Parts: sequence; C-alpha cells; structure tokens
Amino acid sequence: MNRRKFLGYFGSAVALSVVPASLSADDYRKLKPKVWEAKTVDDAIKELFGSAEMIEKGVKIKLPSVASNGGAVPVKFSTKIPAKTVAIFQDANPESAVAVYNVGKYDLTQYSLKIKMGKSGTITVVVEGLDGKLYVGKQSLEVAAGGCEG
Amino acid sequence: MKVKAKLKNGVVKVKMMAKHAMTTYNQAEKKTGDRENANFITHLSGTVKDKVVIDISTSQFLSKNPIFQFKFKGDEFKSGDEFSMTWVDRKGNTKTKKVKIK
Repeated sequence: MNRRKFLGYFGSAVALSVVPASLSADDYRKLKPKVWEAKTVDDAIKELFGSAEMIEKGVKIKLPSVASNGGAVPVKFSTKIPAKTVAIFQDANPESAVAVYNVGKYDLTQYSLKIKMGKSGTITVVVEGLDGKLYVGKQSLEVAAGGCEG
Repeated sequence: MKVKAKLKNGVVKVKMMAKHAMTTYNQAEKKTGDRENANFITHLSGTVKDKVVIDISTSQFLSKNPIFQFKFKGDEFKSGDEFSMTWVDRKGNTKTKKVKIK
C-alpha cells in the first residue's frame, strides 16, 4: 500500500489533522490544486484551510517598506505559535498563493524568501495552529518596478 | 543549487539558493505564446537522516533563482550529518544537493 492510499484510508476514518506532522512530506500543489489558481487572498485561504476566520496576532512579517525591484522582494516571517501549516500570499500578482510550508516537528517556523511582486500590495501570512485556529499577519509594501514583466 | 547548513545552539540554520528561471504563466505567454511553457519550482523538501526537516510547496511567484532561509531543531543532529535538499519543478525536473551540516 502506498502512502497516499494509506492516508486516504486513514483520512476517511479519522480526521486528517490527527496524522503527526512529522510523518508527512506533503505536496500541497497536488493535495489542494485550487489554492494555486485562486485569484484573491481570501479565496486562496478558504481553499487551503476551508475557512477564512482568522485571529490577527502571533505572526511576524518583516519586509522593506519600498522595494526597488519587484522581481525579488525579501520577506521574513515567523511565528511562535505551534503550527501545522504556514502559508504566504500576496495580492499583487494574477494568483495569490506564494508558498505553503508543511510544518514538521523539527521546523522552527522562522522563514525568509524572495518573491515576485507585480505591483505594490500586501503580503499576508496565515498560520494554522495545532489548536486548529488560523492566525494571520499582514504587511504592505510599495514596489517601484514590477517583477512580473521579466 | 547552493546550500549551507549550520548548527549552533541546537538550531540548524539553512540558507539555500536554487538555480531556476521560475518562468511565470504570463512570462511564458509573452515569450513563447503558450502559457503552458511556464516552469517553476513547485515543491522543496529537506531531510537529515531520512527525517523531513523542511517541506515547502511553492508557486510561480518566487523570485528567479529563489533564495530560502529557514531554521530547524538540531538536538538530534550533529555537525557532519548530511543535509539533503531536493526540489521539483512543474515539468518534473528535480535536483538534489547534499551538504554536511557545519
């Protein structure tokens, strides 16, 4: 029996959230393909988590207030909330999802990456806590030159 | 792919850069007329001793040659252990880089 099938059987009997996070290396593009097609941040969050009810605390985001190059905007984000999933979105590109971190037991949820921003906009980071609640942080920035024209 | 992993005070800090054009659908359409030519990294994962320490699903909106930094617990690992980082892109290409934790 392969892992996906196993999870399928398991998931149908018990809620998926019971599976220890350390077991998995889940590709969210295959698990939740619609997340990556969503045009708005709210839709993407709903597709990924099944809810958009969020508590606005516990998520830190650090980014420049003005980015000279939209092709590579440095974003730092972290949380101390025990998390199951951390996802980052923006509203400056045709679709909004950027990355979804599947947090295992080793992961310290302190990340930094570089993203493309087609224009000025807002970065949204959503943390799905082990308590099942969603926590959100938002931060806006100005982009001097867009990154999507390439 | 360039990967650096450093263990300090029980925490492994990783810096990595994947060499990839990260072509978005719009860029592909503009250059080739077909958005299906888009190609970008869709998934990355890192392991130490077969344990998954980082797992990221990604979209076209990472920068070209995307850079990642992250930290994971290092209590069970020591310097000299092998950290293995793998990415897969939309066309199914994959690359793995193994480095020793410093």
